[in-house]
Amino acid sequence: MTSLHKRQVKAVLTWIATFILMIVMCVPGLWVVLSGFRPNREILAKPPVWIPEDLTLDNFAAIFGLSDAQVAIPVIDYFANSMIIAVTSTAIALLVGMSGGYAFARFRFGGKNALFLGLMLSRAVPGIALSLPVFIIWSHLGLIDAPMGLIIVYVALNVPFTIWLIDGFFRQIPKELSEAAQVDGCTRWQAFWKIEFPLARSGIASAGVFAFLTSWNEYALASQLTRSTDSKTLPVGLMDFTAQFTIDWAGMCAMAVIIIIPALILTFLVQKHLIAGLTFGGVKG
Amino acid sequence: MRKSFAFLASAAILPLMLTGIANATDYGKFDGYTLRVKLIGGAQYEPLYAEIAKWETATGAKVEILSRKNHFELDREIKQDIAAGTLDWCVGSNHTSFAPQYGTIYRDLNGVIPAETLAGFDALAIKNSTVDGRLVQLPRHSDISNLFYKKSLFEDQANKDGFKSEFGYELAPPETWDQVKDQAMFFADAPNFYGTQYVGKDEAITGRFYEMLVANGGALFDEDWNPTFNSEAGVMTVQWFKDLYDAKAVPAGVLNYLWDDTGLGFASGTVALNLDWAGWASFFNDPANSKVAGDIGLVRAPKGAGGKRTGWSGSHSFSITETCDNVDAAASFVTFLTDHDQQMVEARKGLLPTRTQVWTDAKKEFADAGNDFLVTVFDTYKVSMSEDAFTPPLIEPWIEVSNEIWPRLQAAILGEMEIKAALDEAAEATRTIMEDAGYL
Amino acid sequence: MRWRAEKHTPYLLLSPAILTILFVVAVPLVFSLYTSLTPYRLTKPDSINQFIGLRNYERLLDDTKFWWAFGRTILFLTIALNLEFLLGLGIALLINRITWGQRTLRTIMMFPMMFSPILVGFQFKFIFNDNIGILNNALQSLGLTDGAIPWLVERDLAMFSIIFAEVWMSTSVFAILLLAGLFAMPKDPLEAAKVDGCTPWQVFRHITLPFIMPFAYIAMTIRSLDVARAYDIVDVMTGGGPAGRTELLWTLIARVGYDNAKMGQANAMAYVSTILSILFTWYFFTKLVAARRYMGGAA
Repeated sequence: MTSLHKRQVKAVLTWIATFILMIVMCVPGLWVVLSGFRPNREILAKPPVWIPEDLTLDNFAAIFGLSDAQVAIPVIDYFANSMIIAVTSTAIALLVGMSGGYAFARFRFGGKNALFLGLMLSRAVPGIALSLPVFIIWSHLGLIDAPMGLIIVYVALNVPFTIWLIDGFFRQIPKELSEAAQVDGCTRWQAFWKIEFPLARSGIASAGVFAFLTSWNEYALASQLTRSTDSKTLPVGLMDFTAQFTIDWAGMCAMAVIIIIPALILTFLVQKHLIAGLTFGGVKG
Repeated sequence: MRKSFAFLASAAILPLMLTGIANATDYGKFDGYTLRVKLIGGAQYEPLYAEIAKWETATGAKVEILSRKNHFELDREIKQDIAAGTLDWCVGSNHTSFAPQYGTIYRDLNGVIPAETLAGFDALAIKNSTVDGRLVQLPRHSDISNLFYKKSLFEDQANKDGFKSEFGYELAPPETWDQVKDQAMFFADAPNFYGTQYVGKDEAITGRFYEMLVANGGALFDEDWNPTFNSEAGVMTVQWFKDLYDAKAVPAGVLNYLWDDTGLGFASGTVALNLDWAGWASFFNDPANSKVAGDIGLVRAPKGAGGKRTGWSGSHSFSITETCDNVDAAASFVTFLTDHDQQMVEARKGLLPTRTQVWTDAKKEFADAGNDFLVTVFDTYKVSMSEDAFTPPLIEPWIEVSNEIWPRLQAAILGEMEIKAALDEAAEATRTIMEDAGYL
Repeated sequence: MRWRAEKHTPYLLLSPAILTILFVVAVPLVFSLYTSLTPYRLTKPDSINQFIGLRNYERLLDDTKFWWAFGRTILFLTIALNLEFLLGLGIALLINRITWGQRTLRTIMMFPMMFSPILVGFQFKFIFNDNIGILNNALQSLGLTDGAIPWLVERDLAMFSIIFAEVWMSTSVFAILLLAGLFAMPKDPLEAAKVDGCTPWQVFRHITLPFIMPFAYIAMTIRSLDVARAYDIVDVMTGGGPAGRTELLWTLIARVGYDNAKMGQANAMAYVSTILSILFTWYFFTKLVAARRYMGGAA
């Protein structure tokens, strides 16, 4: 065997070993996913049923109201709310973050460091400390049980980290590039849009993934600020499976699958940009 | 077709009270009005809400369900509404244990709901729904616990002989909590099988402690609201929980258990005796969900050392806010939801009605359908509802007091504190709360 | 020159960010600061008008339950963050060696990040259940134990269980950031070190590790920023029990504030806890800034 072959074999073995390790790490989560396709009787059995004997889509059918056994969960409403809220708040957070990050990267101004630190620390305030005051203020503004109420909160949650990543990224791009473009007759806005923005794309993409995941999965504040199908999100909807006396574990797992899939797809699609975005945005700036 | 038997009966007996009858049979007209409500959600509560469409058709009103959450979430939401002044809805689900916290946000239903309608309800249920002389809620269904057991264990000859030689008396469904303890220890074989189990945290264990305390001749408070649960009866009560825990007669994780854990535990066939709510009865006897289906015995909750039976009880209910903009519509709605026919819907799911007539009619229906198990369930629960039921103290800081008690109960059961010391500490903290709340 | 002339531009660009933060964080914080100086009860809205000065804070000083929860929270954070760092580093080093099919592995690696904290709580509550939980059943099937281990009750095990859940959920964040650090590493020093005959350990210790430390601090900062997410997990798994063994500041605050409706007292606790998280974040942030300087970037 040549050394090239040996190296290839070794690479494949390493890959397989790593793959197995990653799967093992994911087991608790994979068990949830598997449980989404099994009946309660089997999940909660004692002695346990290790090899699924009865894989079924019944739990999903029940959620969508296709079986009589159970009351339907308005999962389509929840899904739509979650999508609207997560996507909108991510988009706004990115815009706000780009504008703020650009300011930090390209300008010198009084109080810059204090402002930067202040923005970061704002994120350190625990949600539980904010939940009641936010609720009271929101109720006076009519933002309770409205997607807009949550969107505003999520923008605030995501802006600090977004600014940070994007700031680092813009710094990577030599000022001279955009200055040259302006000499050639571009406006500053055009220079930003045509030169700097495309270069910063992976930073923006990775900030976007983090912001989306935060908004998509947030529970504590959403459970306070939403009430009905007008605004309830998927994680809050999970609580529909709990009652005073019972938890429908199989239904909850099925719902979990519905929550995880979009997040997983997005992460996979953006994966290429993710590492690059974090590399330059985070530290080198 | 199933026209309300109760109302026909009352119409015959009370021909003068025409208004009451009219209210009950036709629910008034509220065309174009939208009634805003907040309801408790969860599988066992939902069948009733499917009936709401009938009320909408009858009255021309619309019902907008603003939220539908489990009780603890709903409780938090209502407190937020009080704080933010957003009580812009009319009807809310309530519960006898939670009601005193809400102060005066809910209307006194005496006078709003006609007395003749109220007369159809169980007197005790109405009494327990009253806080400071105000009827702040209309009971929807009640609950109390009785003792389910795995029948075959008690019929097994080897068990009978073994038990007799070990404890010196016959093995039979228990009549006292001491017997429950003996039997639980006898049947237990951890980790595969447990004698019994109890809920171990939150208001759940406070409630179980409370009813056992009363059964043992103790009391949480004296007449002047001084905490008295650190008495001898209190220590004896905690000792019972601790002995079972130490003997591994209950699952090792019970202190983290709530109702779902105990219910599923009994259904999994790994527990011999299980004190539980009526709402579980159908679940336990359903072969699709439960391994003990067809093998369930049921007796009235046993007696404590004071000769009294445990009987912690409460009712789910509906309340109408003071801020409601159309009290007539709201009253019509809650009357509808607690009417004979609607209570029959819930009774068929095994929930305990609050109207006397429904007890009779539901039981007859079960008997006609040959469902002996549910007949037994209704017979047993009927007796305990009318003879054993008592509520926790209907005081505003009840949940707060409970939050002082249960962590100390856990500490005592785990052996982290002496039982007496734990109860003393809880009593001291409770005293402070009662002083702050103006009771002392 | 033109850049500096536009004096108001940076403030204008930053105004959306500042306004959002003011609106969602600063104003509510002022409000809760005020309520922490009153005996505010949710169920008695009028009590907000009664000013009692620092009495809520004075009560905190000799509230042993609070200080136990405070200490436990610090312990929880310290263990969880360090474990997440070590495991995340291990995973990152491993994945970094993969040259082909890495995108798939990276996505699998981030799988736990797709889970909402509330879901992670339920998941581990069931896994750690002593009677029907998958973990005890597995241990019993494998013959490793013949008892039912009370994961969520036993003193140290209960803490272990909630830390395990938190670590499971958040290790990926460390792994992905540290992986980004490894990617950014210049290859030359590594090659040079190898030529000089350094052992792999020496290379790691003296070249790789210092280089990726800033990434570790970023991860620490990000994590300490939203570490209060652990509230959802702990609340579902144990609710702070039994006997307060897993009580963290957040579970305590939620119970006092909402269940007991004593919002004034709860907000005093929340303020102390806010200061704690700010200190944690501040600490990592200064480390990060120092590390950035060391790397030659302009902070």
